[in-house]
Formats: sequence, structure tokens, C-alpha cells
Amino acid sequence: MKLFQTMINRRRFLQSSAAVGASAGAVAGFSGLPGLMPAREARAQTPRGETTITKNVCAQCPARCGIDVYTTDGRVHAIYGTSDNPISNGKLCPKGHLGSYFLYDPDRFKGPMKRTNPKKGRDEDPGFVPISWEEALDTVAERLNDLRRREESHRFAMFYGRGWGSSDAGIQYPFGELYGTPNAAIGHSSMCADGSKKAKLATDGNNSYSSYDYRNVNYLLIMGASFLEAFRPYNNVMQMWGHMRTKTPKTGVTTVDVRMSPTMAASDRALYIKPGTDGAFALAVAHVILTEGLWDREFVGDFTTPGRQFVAARRISPATFEEKWVHGLADWWNEELKDRTPEWAEAVTGIKADDIRRTGMEFGSTRPAVALFERGATGHSNGTYNGMAIHSLNALVGSLFAEGGIGYQVGPSYGPLPVKVEDYQDDYARDGAWKQQPRLDMKGTDRWPMVSNMMQECATNHLNADPYTLDTAMFYYTNPIWSAPNPQVWEEALKNVFIIDTSPFPGETAMYADIVLPDCTYLERTQDVPSYPFEGWPMAELRTPAVEPIHDTKMYGDVVIELGKRIEGPMGDYYRELGNLDNYIRHLAAGFADDPGDNGVDGFDSWKEKGVWYKKPYQWRQIRGEFYEWDGQRYGRQMSEEEVKEHLFKTPSGKFEVRSGFLEQHADYIEREMGIPRDRAGLVQWVEPIYTGGDGDLHFVTPKTPLHAEGRGANIPQQMMVHQPIVGGRGTVYLEVNPQTARERGIGNGDRVRIISDIGSIEAECRFVASHRPDTLVLPFEFGHWAQGRWAKGRGPGNSSEITANKSDPISGLASYYTGKVRLERA
Amino acid sequence: MAKWGMVIDLDKCTGCQACTTACSMENNTLPGETWQDVLYYNAGENPSGQMKWLPRPCMQCENPSCVHVCPTRATYKDPDAGGIVFVDWNKCIGCKYCMIACPYGVRFYADEKPLIEPDIRDVFPGENGQLWSPPYQNPEEDWRRGIGIQPAGVVSKCTFCYHKVRHAPEGVADLDEDNPEVKEYVPACVRTCAPKARYFGDLDNPESQVNQLIGDKHGVRLKDHTGNKPQVYYLGAGAGIPAFTPADRENDA
Repeated sequence: MKLFQTMINRRRFLQSSAAVGASAGAVAGFSGLPGLMPAREARAQTPRGETTITKNVCAQCPARCGIDVYTTDGRVHAIYGTSDNPISNGKLCPKGHLGSYFLYDPDRFKGPMKRTNPKKGRDEDPGFVPISWEEALDTVAERLNDLRRREESHRFAMFYGRGWGSSDAGIQYPFGELYGTPNAAIGHSSMCADGSKKAKLATDGNNSYSSYDYRNVNYLLIMGASFLEAFRPYNNVMQMWGHMRTKTPKTGVTTVDVRMSPTMAASDRALYIKPGTDGAFALAVAHVILTEGLWDREFVGDFTTPGRQFVAARRISPATFEEKWVHGLADWWNEELKDRTPEWAEAVTGIKADDIRRTGMEFGSTRPAVALFERGATGHSNGTYNGMAIHSLNALVGSLFAEGGIGYQVGPSYGPLPVKVEDYQDDYARDGAWKQQPRLDMKGTDRWPMVSNMMQECATNHLNADPYTLDTAMFYYTNPIWSAPNPQVWEEALKNVFIIDTSPFPGETAMYADIVLPDCTYLERTQDVPSYPFEGWPMAELRTPAVEPIHDTKMYGDVVIELGKRIEGPMGDYYRELGNLDNYIRHLAAGFADDPGDNGVDGFDSWKEKGVWYKKPYQWRQIRGEFYEWDGQRYGRQMSEEEVKEHLFKTPSGKFEVRSGFLEQHADYIEREMGIPRDRAGLVQWVEPIYTGGDGDLHFVTPKTPLHAEGRGANIPQQMMVHQPIVGGRGTVYLEVNPQTARERGIGNGDRVRIISDIGSIEAECRFVASHRPDTLVLPFEFGHWAQGRWAKGRGPGNSSEITANKSDPISGLASYYTGKVRLERA
Repeated sequence: MAKWGMVIDLDKCTGCQACTTACSMENNTLPGETWQDVLYYNAGENPSGQMKWLPRPCMQCENPSCVHVCPTRATYKDPDAGGIVFVDWNKCIGCKYCMIACPYGVRFYADEKPLIEPDIRDVFPGENGQLWSPPYQNPEEDWRRGIGIQPAGVVSKCTFCYHKVRHAPEGVADLDEDNPEVKEYVPACVRTCAPKARYFGDLDNPESQVNQLIGDKHGVRLKDHTGNKPQVYYLGAGAGIPAFTPADRENDA
């Protein structure tokens, strides 16, 4: 009957719309009109409720965009960039708007839980049952106290990923010193982008990402950085892109990458490089800058006699070149650079010598110019050397600390805490057996002497009981059981470890958890957020909850404090003195009283109202080869060499080093691990990459995408439906393949394919993209969950990490995510 | 009354899709019900291949073919609301004629098989006549203009965020998000655009920035031969691209 009714309606309406003519006729043939509806009650405009706006900081990538959160009747419904926040300036990236979807993710953990199924594995239901916070915290604390009584406290580790500031990541370190473990906390930086930091440490002495003055730069050379997809702070980078590409003079952009990407597409020149060879390209650009006489003489130095020049393949006499701020230039030229011609680099990189020469001429003759890079260049066995070669270009054109150049971030003027760790350490904490134990990841030992962290080693080390096995591990904002290279090892390793997961979401680590202590989402948190490297001047933001926690969750910082209170001995007093997170943050904010921000923020209340404290300008500047400090009016006070060494070039020589004193200190290790003769270890140089994956004939690269930079949106259907461009959109994530490569293997557009390395294989749907290199497959990172929520779980394609070997750059420790080789076949 | 127009500079657009997600949040659209989206095109071969992209809101045509075909006059162009094309959900019968008539593909019918499983409409079932009722709802609702969450069985589309724009002060030439006085009245996609590739203002006001940009940078309208006369203009080297050509399955992605 319903069908009949529908047809009547349809006929009646077709009659009545006869005047529509041809276009109506065109649709008359389609079948089924499920939408024809009876009349409804008419509804008009009905705005509801009072809207409040709270200041927060987006948490979907490290950029720290200040956000305005719109809440009406207790429900968050909109997020926009904060207008007077220096990073977001009222804008957001595509991820930023989706924050309310995290808050209301139906698969979130609703409260603390314990496991009832002792078996752990991908297909094991943990059998979680809800418990009270008291029981949950007591259970964990009892376990920790017991370990401590047995003098095995080093077997407790805290792992963390995206830490925000003092009140979460920072709060973990005293925990380790008071409790007695070297493993509080093991960060994720070696699975992130430590290659960039170490390349800078080795050359200019700053173990840090850089700050950039995009507003005034006139030339950008972008290498393996996904600048318009995932470079931080992405939102601000795009704001600056709009500025750079429309200002006068327009900022010229050359991008070097292994694949087609929005950055490549939007650049003036796109150069497709063979993976792992970025260092060779940069050395050839340096060669061109020197042979063409385009280096910045005021910064670098010059020949002492007029008329001398750099000529390919010809040594110079070191005595004839007077170095200014670049240490080791003559050696660099003689021992490395003189032979690094564009023609040599063409053979290594696959980029035409003419293109290298043109890029070098432009880069060397346009001031200010900046060369920037990220893990595309550094995610290889030779990553630190690649990064050093690229960063050295900044030195050759005098961009370091210059207007339109590159600098480093300064921290905020936080107040001191009311408690000191040393006052609350007992004898065990000060001098117990744990002091004799290395970190589980072997950071700082002869195995990894230069790294900051080596989280990716922990599963293997535990399985080998080398240096020891883990007993208990707590995870915050990190999920290595799924995201580490070769995560299959983690799946095995964590089976017999007591796991505490603190994620609000049911990720893979949580599926192995014995206790779940769910954090609040960022819209429910109070949390300090000092700036990630941005423009250099100090800045600290504050998260303020838009709503009370909608479930029975607790902020991670408070979880750490509450656990601390339950540990035996004076440690508990330390945490009772701290009280809670709110109190802790008020102590930080007290520091602003003596150093008010440019926007008037001078304490907790004004910080909460504005959401940000900052002080411009950057304190130092290099002008024509001299360094100056801001005197309140201008860069008027010239700095001594000692001051430059203390604040800016923190290297042994106090200069930018193309012969790295830092690496020379580790020359034996470098010779042993990389086969580089010890007397060459410090040189910025070309080192052949060692690809992983076995006998694969294709490079496999796994970029981050604009909607998914840290993979946090995996369970948001709205996000999945628009994931583009390199993932296809409409819910399907593709492996992108050059058509020629596919056809040679009998693979058609849209076919299901298998990607195979020596540690496993995954499947994906193939899409032809003729812009990619024929020798390189492109599959985005952070897909292929086996947990994480109803939309994320079990959705293709496979997880790229499962065919990515756990190999790292011996210097930086950065996992070589982009250096795998694979085979491709029809599934 | 203003005639609201949008200008999109493709030389500045980075294809990031913040416009798309801002729209989906502001208007509580279903997954895939992208009133505003971005289309990508690949052409050429390595090492000289190219990729282009085109952000696509409703063009709010001066002569909208969707309005001409609507049998119930549910879809209409409102000269008293800046010339925005609306769907009156009280009148729409979901026949989809307008979707076929629209040359730009910017109308949506969300009351069918979900584009992604599990169906989010089952997770947040509809209440109070709505097709679905998520917890994160914009407090503004006006079914006469297709604002809010739709009932079952109707067509939905971009409204130029009229629930915001309608509060704009009388006579304002441009709704520029950098002006704190008007930022709350700027359409979501324009307000959030990080490289500032989007502008929104009064096409009837020769002093407006949108007209200045169209004049200086030779703004073009898509598919002008249809006579639809969009109120959305594109600028930039890629602005003349032949949009919406069918994909070549053999050679293209």
C-alpha cells in the first residue's frame, strides 16, 4: 500500500510540474522515490540557548593552535581559531574543526576499567569491567610499591607520545627520580622527527626544531617536509603560504620530494628525488653556491686574496680562506664538496643536473632564503648527514638568526614549583639499585650514544631481557603496539607486561591493558601548553575545559599526582604538597607576574581568559654577519662571540660547523656503526642509504596527510569521507602507483594488491597516479587499525608499519620509516 | 539589500579542506554530505605531472537551474537574503530534480544508504523530526531556509551560512574574518581559510573587496555558458580549468 501511495504522489507531482519540461523528463525514469514524504509540521527559525566561548588549544597535532570552543546548553558544537592567538590568528587546518567529534566519539572509554581476560592478543576481548578510580589507582600503586620493595622499580616504564607541557609530560620526570626508575619517561621522539633535531645539534648546537620567519623570506627550498600537508605549525604555515605567494616580491618555492603532493603541486619547481638521497642534492646545491660565488661572505667568510674562487675538483689552501661564522669550510670543500657536482648528484638522485644548478643559482642569489626539511630527508640510515647537508645551505646564504631566516624557540617565564625533588627523595630514590640500571631503550649507552629516546627498541629489548624485562608499563598519548615500525614485535612483547593505558579512546594499546585510566579529551582539560618551535619568541598557552568531563575520566597529570600520593615514603608527601593539577598550573602562571605578556597576561586568571601568554620580539638577530640583542627599541646591542656561543651557536667552536665537533666526539661509534673513517666523521657528507625490506624492487613511502597528521581522526566518519588527495576520499584509502609500474605487474587501476617486505605483507586498493616516480609506491601512514573504535577498526588498507623494518639512523636514532623497499603483486 | 558573493583565489588555496570540515561542523552534515568539498585532478606524467584542486561550495546562482525545476517551490532564491538559494524543508518532497538540474553537483540527499558504515544515524538517532541528532548541534535552526539538521526525505545544500550572515550589519561591503566586528557573521569556510584564499562580500557594492579582486584579478565563474551566473568567482592561474570533466578511467586516477 505504501508503494501505491508513493506512486500516486509521484504521478500527481509530475503532472503538476509539467512546465519543467526536459529536465523533469530526464529524471522520470529513475526508480524508487524513497524521499517522497507526506506534509510535515512546518518549522521556522528557532535559535536555542546561550552560547559561551572558552579558550583551548587544539590537540590533533603538535602545532598548538589557540581555539575558541563554542558551547551552548552544555554541548560543544563549534571550534574556530582564536583571533588574537599568534599561531592560529582565527584560522584552523582541516583537523581543527573536528574537535567536538572527539569529545562525543561514541566509542570513548566511559571510566576506569580492569581486564578480566588474562589472555592478550589482537583477537582477544579484554573483558573490561568498570571499577572505581580508587580501586584503579590503588591497584596500580600497590603494584608499584611492591616493585619498589623488591628493588626492581626500574622495571616500571612510562611511555609518552604527544606531551603538551609541564603539567603532563613534565610531571613524569620527577616521578621517576622519586620512585626510582630511569624509564620515566621514554618519549616518542625517535619515532617522530629526531633526525631534524640531531642534524641541527650537529651543525649549530641546538637540539631542536627550528623557528622560521616566513613573513620575510623570499625563497624556500623544501625537502621531504610535506610543507602543505603536515609540517608544523600546519595552520600557521598555510597562513604564511597565502602571504608568501602574494607578497612583493613573491616567495619562490622549489620543492624536492619523492612523490606528488599538494606541496609539490603548488610549488614553482617540483623535483622528484630518489628516496634517501636528499643529502646528495643539497651537497650539489652547496657546490653550485660556492663555485658560482653566491655564498654570503659577511656570514661565511671569504678568501683573503681577491680573485680566488672555488673551482670544481680543485682543492683550496685553507690558509687562503678566512672563516667567519662557518667552522670547517675549507676542509668541507677539500674533503667533500669539490667533487659534489650537479652531474654527480644527478646520477645519485635522479634529478637533472640542470635543475640542480638552477635551484642552486636561485637559492644562492635570492636573500633571504631558507632550506627546510623533515623526515622525508631524515627517515633513513643516513638521515642526520642528509639533514646536515640541507641545513648547511642556510649557513652558506647567511639565514641563521637573520630576518627572513631561521632561529630557535625560547621557553616561557614559568614560576617555580612549591616543592623540590631532592627534598623528597629517600635513600632508595637517591642511591638505590635502580641507579645502576640503564634505560630500557639503552639511550646514552654505547649502543645509542647520541639519541634522545629509542622507544622503538623497547619491545625487542624486553623480549631479549637485554638489559632487563619490563614488569609494568604506562602509556600516555602513544600507541607503539600499532604505530612503531614492525609493531608485530610489540604485540608479542606486551603480552606478559602489566599495561596501564591512559588514552580516552579504545586504541590497540588499550586492548592489551590490564588497567585503563582514561584521560579527558582536550576540550575537557586544564593543561599548560608552551609553544612548539614557531617564531622563536616565548609563548605559552592554556587549555580551559569547555565542559566538565562528560564521562568518569581524569586528566593524566592528576593521575600521575594521585599515583604519586600512593607511593610509600616521602614521595607521597611531594605529591600531597603539589595537591592537584590546577594548583600545579597556578604555580607555573605565577611566573608571569614578573614578566607580563604582550597581551597583558600576568597570572592564572588573565592566562585563562586570553588563553595565551607571549612576548615578542625574538631576542637576537644576525645582521650582515654580526649578532645583536634586542635592547627594547631595536636590535641595538652587539653580542660578543661568547654570547653567541652561549645563546645561539652552542657548538664546540661557537660557530656553525660543517665539520661537526659533536660528531667528532663520537667518531669511534660512527666508524663502527656506519663505516665512515673516524677522521671524516664530523664532515657534512654524502653517505649511501641502506634500504630495508630485503629484495624489494620498489621504494615504499608512507606520508602523513592534512587530515591525519598524527592519525588522531581514525574513528571520525566525517573525516574518513573527505580524506584527500593522496588517500582518495569517499572512505577508501589507496595505494598510489605509477601506471607503468602497475601494468608491468599485471595490475589494473582499482585492483587489490599486496605489498610485501621481508617482515610481512599488507593489502590495499591500487590507484594510478602517473605523477609519482615509477620506482616508488605511496601509501599514507596511520591507517589499518585493528582497534580504536567502530569506524576505524578493520578498515583497509593494511598498516604500513607492519612492513616497515625497525631500523634507525645510528646517530639520531630516528626510525627509518621511509627507507623500506617492497615488492608489489596482485592480491 | 546586499548580494552576497564569494571569491576563491586558487593561487592561494592549498587544498587542505579546512573549508570542508568547518562546513561539516558548522552545519552538522552527515559523513559525505559535503555541502562544501574540494575536487582534485591529476594530469601528466612523472616528472612533469600536475595536480590541481577546486574547492566547491554552492554557487548561489543568479539564475539557478535548481529553482526552475523544483515542483513544489521548496527551493528558491531569496533576494531579501543576499540572493542565497535555499531549500525550504517544510516544502521539499525529496524528488531530487534540483540535484540533476544543478550543473555544479552541490546538492545532497542524505536519506539513503549511508556512505560509510556503521551508519552514524543509528548511533545518534533522530529526535524531534530530525534525520539524526548528534550531540554537537549548532543551536541555530531554520527549516524554511534549510538551516539545521534536516528531516528525513529532503535535499540539503550550502546556505552561505545564512544563520551567521543574516546578522551582518546593514550596508557592510565585506564580511572579512580579520575584522573582529563581523567575524561571527562570516561563512565558516571563509572564516577558517588559513591562506586566506576566500573572500566574502557584497557583489552589488562596487567598493567591496570582492568586486575589487574580481576586477583586478579577472575573476571567472564556472560553467558560465550554462547561463546560471554564479555568485562565486574564482581567481588564479588554475581558475579557468574545465571542472567536472569525467575521469578517464584508463589513464587518470
